Amino acid sequence: MALIRTEKVCKNFGELSVLTDIDVAVEPKEVVCIIGPSGAGKSTFLRSLNQLERITSGKIYIDEKLFLHRENNVTVFQQNSAEYKRLLLEMGMVFQSFNLFPHRTALQNIILAPVNVQKKARAQAEEEARELLAKVGLSEKADEYPARLSGGQQQRLAIARALAMQPKIMLFDEPTSALDPELVGEVLQVMKQLAESGMTMLVVTHEMGFARDVADRIIFMCDGMVAEEGEPSELFTNPKNPRTKQFLNSIL
Amino acid sequence: MADNLETESGSKNKPKAKTAAEPAAKARRRRLALYIVLGLLALAVLILALTRPSGEKVVGEISQPLIDKAGSNYSQQYYNYLAFSIARGKNVRSAESDTHIGFAGRTFAVNAGAAAVAANVLCWLPALINGTRITISLTVTAVCAGVFLSVFLALGKISRRKLLSRICSGYIFFFRGTPLLMQLFFIYYGLPQISPALAINNKFLAAFVTFTLNSAAYCAEIIRAAIQSIDKGQFEASRALGMSYGQTMRLVVIPQSIRRLIPPVANEFIMVLKDASLVSIIALTDLTFQTRNISSSSASALVYVPAMIIYLIITAIFTYIFNRMEKRFSIYT
Ligand SMILES: Nc1ncnc2c1ncn2[C@@H]1O[C@H](COP(=O)(O)OP(=O)(O)OP(=O)(O)O)[C@@H](O)[C@H]1O
Ligand SMILES: [Mg+2]
Repeated sequence: MALIRTEKVCKNFGELSVLTDIDVAVEPKEVVCIIGPSGAGKSTFLRSLNQLERITSGKIYIDEKLFLHRENNVTVFQQNSAEYKRLLLEMGMVFQSFNLFPHRTALQNIILAPVNVQKKARAQAEEEARELLAKVGLSEKADEYPARLSGGQQQRLAIARALAMQPKIMLFDEPTSALDPELVGEVLQVMKQLAESGMTMLVVTHEMGFARDVADRIIFMCDGMVAEEGEPSELFTNPKNPRTKQFLNSIL
Repeated sequence: MADNLETESGSKNKPKAKTAAEPAAKARRRRLALYIVLGLLALAVLILALTRPSGEKVVGEISQPLIDKAGSNYSQQYYNYLAFSIARGKNVRSAESDTHIGFAGRTFAVNAGAAAVAANVLCWLPALINGTRITISLTVTAVCAGVFLSVFLALGKISRRKLLSRICSGYIFFFRGTPLLMQLFFIYYGLPQISPALAINNKFLAAFVTFTLNSAAYCAEIIRAAIQSIDKGQFEASRALGMSYGQTMRLVVIPQSIRRLIPPVANEFIMVLKDASLVSIIALTDLTFQTRNISSSSASALVYVPAMIIYLIITAIFTYIFNRMEKRFSIYT
């Protein structure tokens, strides 16, 4: 039973067709990495899942429940508002540019949504936030503002903030692309721990080492389509699609 | 964190953060010196207060010939500031005048030079201060109410609801596109003619309403620009965390805009402070009105000097306050 499944998802920006017939399914506890050249539509796909973009057509299932069905930019079906919100919150998102709240300390960044959206008691939210900070190695930084943290620390904080909403699946959009090379490792380390703890993850990344080590499955996207998918050992060593070969040659 | 606490408690007890590390004895000695100075000042004030010249004596010393000559056309002003008093007599018809300054029990005739100017300025002060009070209260209340209104106007203008957005844009266009003085005339003189129910008879209230509506339009543009300057990643992160549009605005966007808002709002405040002089035209007794009044009744245009100095002082004080606010809101950068 897939946690997230898409059927024939298409996305156009005006005339420009960015996603074409994307069928992707992510099983619980699975770590799926999406790779592909720039402009392939990887970010757009992630953003279509958590509704930062509205798809042009296709179906999105969450927990095998039809979440959204659109045709020709018209919504055919959408879960009722309470269920829609609940299902939406099963996805946590980590952005390339962190998008932390600069006017709040690390701890306040984490508890803002739990307290205001989930209506958790502040004390409980703070306790959980401290646990999360410990998990991403930022216990000391609870009262720092994001501007006082390094890039790697900021991204780890962003991961903790997303985890605080207790999502079932985490979406990562190039979480290490904005980081200095020496800071990439600490973020990947946290993500690896997260994967090992059984979190379902859908990761857009250019870190091939991470994809090979951690992913259960790799999806190669190109020109708005899924060109190839398979286990890392298979896809990296023996790609079937010539585009995949070309891409892997260009970066390895 | 610990650092923060220390500077905070440090700056509360007069000696600044720098000296917080110095031995406590030094701070105590400094405080003692302060108390001694304050005590001496209080003593001096007390002595001066006890030796102030009596009102009658000063008035009596306005030259008798002048009083005789002028008869009932003779007007008098008398002011007492602690040990310091001024008496001015003036013949309404001939503009002959006579000024006396009293200090520590003695009185001196001053009809020329710097002393006379100083005496004049002191005579004008009570009226100027009354005017200042009106100018400040009008500016502060109108800008506060205007900022409050403008938040809704700004949110309305960037709203996706077409009609609401149109209405707010129209409002802003109207108030920014017509002269403030005309708006004031319209509200004070025009509204009662449309319907007596709309009449605002209190001049201060009419001015307050005009300035509020006007500065709301200007501040709405300031706020809209500040909100739209917030990185769109902030909106996306908030949405991804399940926040509603209202929560995003209230918890994330507006708090971040505040720091960017302060300099342009301070600017708007100073503009309103100066534009408030327009209310003198509907005879609201603000600082400008009082100044003009004094100028025409005493035939001395010198009164514009202390009046302008008062405007400068108000501007300086509020600039300081806004700077402090800006600093307070920039802790996180
Ligand atoms: N809001 C938008 N309006 C118009 N075109 C867009 C918009 N967002 C993305 N696109 C276009 O969609 C295509 C796919 O963009 P997307 O960001 O999904 O690519 P990507 O695979 O994430 O690339 P990268 O590796 O550079 O992040 C690009 O050609 C981009 O120009
Ligand atoms: Mg991208």
